[in-house]
Amino acid sequence: MPKTITEQNLRLLIDTLVKEGTRVVGPRAAGTMTLYEPLATGEELHLGELPRRSAKEAFFPLCETILTYEKDKEGVKVSDIDPARFPETVLIGARPCDVAAAPVLDAVFSWDFKDEFFLERRRKTTIIGLACTKADDACFCTAVGLSPSDTKGSDLFLTPLKDGGYRCDVVTEKGEALLSAHAGLFADGTGEPLPLAEPTLGKLDLEKIRNWLDSHFEDPLWEEIAQRCAGCGACAFLCPACHCFDIVDEGGEQKGARRKSWDACGFGKFTGHASGHNPRDVQPQRYRNRIMHKFKYYHDKFGQRLCTGCGRCIRACPVGIDIAAVLEEINNK
Amino acid sequence: MTNSAQTIDPALYAAVTDAVRAEARKVLESGAVAAVVGWQAGRRAGTAMPTIVTDPAKAADLIFSPACVNNLALYLTKAKKEVRGKGKIAIVAKGCDLKALVGLMGENQLKREELHIIGVVCAGVQGAAADRSLPLSEATIAGKCRECTVHTPENTDVTVGTLTELPHFTPTESAELARLEAMTPAERWSFWKEHFSRCIRCYACRQVCPFCYCEQCLCDRNRPQAVETTPRPAGNMAWHIVRAMHLAGRCAGCAECERACPMDIPLNLLNRKMARELKELYGHEAGFKPKEKGPLAEYREDDDQSFIK
Repeated sequence: MPKTITEQNLRLLIDTLVKEGTRVVGPRAAGTMTLYEPLATGEELHLGELPRRSAKEAFFPLCETILTYEKDKEGVKVSDIDPARFPETVLIGARPCDVAAAPVLDAVFSWDFKDEFFLERRRKTTIIGLACTKADDACFCTAVGLSPSDTKGSDLFLTPLKDGGYRCDVVTEKGEALLSAHAGLFADGTGEPLPLAEPTLGKLDLEKIRNWLDSHFEDPLWEEIAQRCAGCGACAFLCPACHCFDIVDEGGEQKGARRKSWDACGFGKFTGHASGHNPRDVQPQRYRNRIMHKFKYYHDKFGQRLCTGCGRCIRACPVGIDIAAVLEEINNK
Repeated sequence: MTNSAQTIDPALYAAVTDAVRAEARKVLESGAVAAVVGWQAGRRAGTAMPTIVTDPAKAADLIFSPACVNNLALYLTKAKKEVRGKGKIAIVAKGCDLKALVGLMGENQLKREELHIIGVVCAGVQGAAADRSLPLSEATIAGKCRECTVHTPENTDVTVGTLTELPHFTPTESAELARLEAMTPAERWSFWKEHFSRCIRCYACRQVCPFCYCEQCLCDRNRPQAVETTPRPAGNMAWHIVRAMHLAGRCAGCAECERACPMDIPLNLLNRKMARELKELYGHEAGFKPKEKGPLAEYREDDDQSFIK
């Protein structure tokens, strides 16, 4: 039986979950922008715009400690972080372009090494996706095979209704469990959905693009597109699918921590060797890696692509590099 | 110059575009330069991006519009060796960008004779959150342009465009600076702490800055580590203080760092504060004459020493 939930009850659901001790993460107004942040109350849920940073940080935080060390008379004591202590979480109001990236990332984080920091958070998170009714000219989810109503990665999926409130579709058992535990907040029915967002970029032939990439590691296109690249990490850091990280030891001789934080292939130091040699010596080679990794390497290895068309990299790029235009250009070759 | 019209006439930019294309074509065809650094239109309406043109036929791709926000001096620093390696370069420069070029000349990073500067008369560029479909107005113009005093660049090789009467814009940056200065030190500390807590260490501010051309940034070092590289409060604060201090007396005020920041940290406010301090202490201002040494790179007997207690 399809369900609906009113705006008020959706906020009440958050209040209830928070009271039960669940961590609830959702879009929240943060100064001049919206960010996915822990919500203290349902009132804080802010669904008007796409959050500036993606929802990946619900599983893959900007920075986290992976161990701490302390020296005493007996020696050095190393303490691991216990992922079992990560809290049960509900990610609510996340857009399809954010949610769809989570199962894509599962592949790499559970490949040859099981990254418990990521996987334990994934296991403990229930995702309530939200259909998208507003696109801007940077949005291109439909061009990379997703849609504003794609339920990929969601456990429950909300669709805004014309008369207010949301239709709620159950996508997974995890979602079913969350819904049944709070059944009183939902009603039977379907309602009439609001029109979905309509990104304007035409559908890309991703297989054709992959084939082109396969035979054009060396091509004048890379310099043409990327000699303007300034080499910052804004695109990678805002991307829902970029997942490179650095590990550093910070602290002193007596005590400190080993920390993991986001890294970006656009940084010159990303491939710097201890010898001083850098196999990706100039910016176009670094940008080429960004495209290759997203649309070829990851697909070669895992059968999926590292782009959901959210458009964040396009909006944020200080020098106007537009990944959709790059893909379009390759597509038209 | 003020007038009663509330918007800036887009025809000004169209005329500049034509003249930039003609000049670029001329200098490329004659072989006077190997490349022209300018802007071209982006895929999305009302956007532009930096471009490096070497083929005279491509000179027609160049544009000038309120979307031409970038300070192209970035592409002439040693951080962008690939561009400089092409030979003599022509660069399209707004008045504000010119200050950065002059600063780089003062620091021996550029030689005037190696450049062909195509100055563009500029009435302003759009702010970060502006509706790009609208002409420039009080609602859409960038903060730095509201207080611009260099609409017409000088000491260029050629300057194109004619300035028309401009609307009066309410200054926002100086008002914000006054608000900052009126705070108590504790309030200011918490103001910046709050802003820097949002930093994600993407280094967009550093990468777009024409003066951040160090081949080895101190803040990337890990043996020994000078500044924590993880995006946590202590390292973020240290990074932004290092950045501000290293730019004091060098920053040309283009505000690219602030524009590039994906987390909306008001970095140019910090730059402006430093610029004011440098003016008050040493009478120094970023200008249009190359100076070999900035105030913080030089010792003089008559330097203010009142801070030594």
